[in-house]
Amino acid sequence: MKLKEDELRRLTLMAIEELGDKASPELVKNIVTSTVNKLSGEVEKLPVSEDKTSGRIILTAFGLNATGIVASITSALSEYGCDIQDLTQKLMGDFFTMIMVVDITDSDHDLRQVQEKMNEISGKLGIKVFLQHEDLFRQMHRI
Amino acid sequence: MPYEFDEILETIKMTEIEHFDIRTVTMGISLRDCADRSLEVTKQKIYDKILKYGKNHVKLAQEVEAKYGVSIANKRISITPVSIPFDAFHLEEFVEIAKALDKAAGEIGIDYIAGYSALVQKGFTNGERELIKSIPFALSETKRVCASVNVGTTKAGINIDAINMMADVIKSTAEKTKDNDSIGCAKLVVFCNVPEDNPFVAGAFHGISEPEIVLNVGISGPGVVLDAIREAGSVDMQQLAEVIKKTIFKITRAGELMGREVAKKHGIPFGIVDISLAPTPAPGDSIGDILKAMGVEDVGAPGTTAALAMLNDSVKKAGLMASSSVGGMSGAFIPVSEDQGMIDAVERGNLSLEKLEAMTAVCSVGLDMIAIPGDTPATTIGGIIADECAIGMINNKTTAVRIIPAYGKTIGDSVDYGGLLGKAPILSVRNLSSENFMMRGGKIPAPTVSLSN
Repeated sequence: MKLKEDELRRLTLMAIEELGDKASPELVKNIVTSTVNKLSGEVEKLPVSEDKTSGRIILTAFGLNATGIVASITSALSEYGCDIQDLTQKLMGDFFTMIMVVDITDSDHDLRQVQEKMNEISGKLGIKVFLQHEDLFRQMHRI
Repeated sequence: MPYEFDEILETIKMTEIEHFDIRTVTMGISLRDCADRSLEVTKQKIYDKILKYGKNHVKLAQEVEAKYGVSIANKRISITPVSIPFDAFHLEEFVEIAKALDKAAGEIGIDYIAGYSALVQKGFTNGERELIKSIPFALSETKRVCASVNVGTTKAGINIDAINMMADVIKSTAEKTKDNDSIGCAKLVVFCNVPEDNPFVAGAFHGISEPEIVLNVGISGPGVVLDAIREAGSVDMQQLAEVIKKTIFKITRAGELMGREVAKKHGIPFGIVDISLAPTPAPGDSIGDILKAMGVEDVGAPGTTAALAMLNDSVKKAGLMASSSVGGMSGAFIPVSEDQGMIDAVERGNLSLEKLEAMTAVCSVGLDMIAIPGDTPATTIGGIIADECAIGMINNKTTAVRIIPAYGKTIGDSVDYGGLLGKAPILSVRNLSSENFMMRGGKIPAPTVSLSN
């Protein structure tokens, strides 16, 4: 970071004022140099919110019907402390579709971790599982 | 269940099968406080400012993608038109600024940064003249910088001198990037009535009335509209318009939700949603295919313009209802190289430059990503730009020209960029001279519609 001349001057005057009687040319020079170096070190950061995703998510699972699909998904959810609030499923021939409303507010895990767990399960069972925040569906289908 | 089974499946179908994505989240950054007498200091200030705001841009967008299961195709940055804060610089210095922008964009991991721009509809400042002259160098010596120049508005008329300059700039950019199919021209747009909050690159910039920093969103989804029209079957025009509106309404709502979320994570204001059907070369993600699904045999058939007009208008209506912050261009884009349906129509000889020009009178932008023979005279390119600007000026709409006079290529050849920019067959241009008209120079006065006060 490069400082303008007047900025440098202001910085120097501030250092002199702060030091009061102790101010000497060497001391002021050292302080100003180290301050400028500190400023150049890293670009100023903006505060970034680190909020965990919470609230209700919609889980949709598709695939060929097989034993243990519901069991694997629900036991994983309960292990993660997620609350299943609603569940509906349909079978069309051999094809299976399940939709769940899951509340992850009280879970120790956030959405990304639950998604990773579900990816693991869907890989094993050869099905597809999607997890999307409920807000998306509310925005799209409710006015 | 708070939602119907079908509603949930519809959303999953859109995101997983029909390529519905948020096309771009574009962060607009003002560079107006970055000017300094010294070029080195200016470059450092630009770099620092872009990094300060843009550092987490990609990461935060990815978090939102994961939360909603909707992909955000592009994360980009737009900046104050470079000619405004840095008006005192000269050609070589502008090129150095372009390089600083390129470096900053690379550092934060984005593919394009847009706003190497000038607004010269009423005339040039010295800096604007220098910036325009520097465009061929800037575009050939950087990878990520995009340039645009506004040469006309309904209020000011059309600056023919600027068009003539731009025609030369386009030819020179094509030559300087001849080793890559004149790719520089794909990053250069000439506008009439340019919107100041457009999030879509290459024509994006951070307008002079915009705040310090803002986040704009561009939504797309031709695939979703295409499937909805196909499913609707043989309904009449009003019902078809209704189908389009309902579909667009839903994707706009989703886009606004995600845009606001990204802005919130950054802690910056949310600007606008631009609902533009922007095609990609992926199969099914095509405006050409939508027009065909509406009933014309191929793009270019009589009726194409009417179909496009209805599509464009339905998109706008649905967007207005779905969001209170609609902006940018909002409508349907009809680029050639980025749309397989359009590419096919050109290759079959069904779509000519003249028909495309007519279509641009009712689409949301203009002649976009069109490749023409490399030996087309500059004055002919100028004439094409002037025609397009005239459509925009008289109809009070945005029009643009992104044209590629592919160096060393002619009819039968094509340019192929791969990726989102796609592939364009060379389109034939009428072999009639516009020279005597264009060389008059000066300005076309503002039309009567400009006197609205």
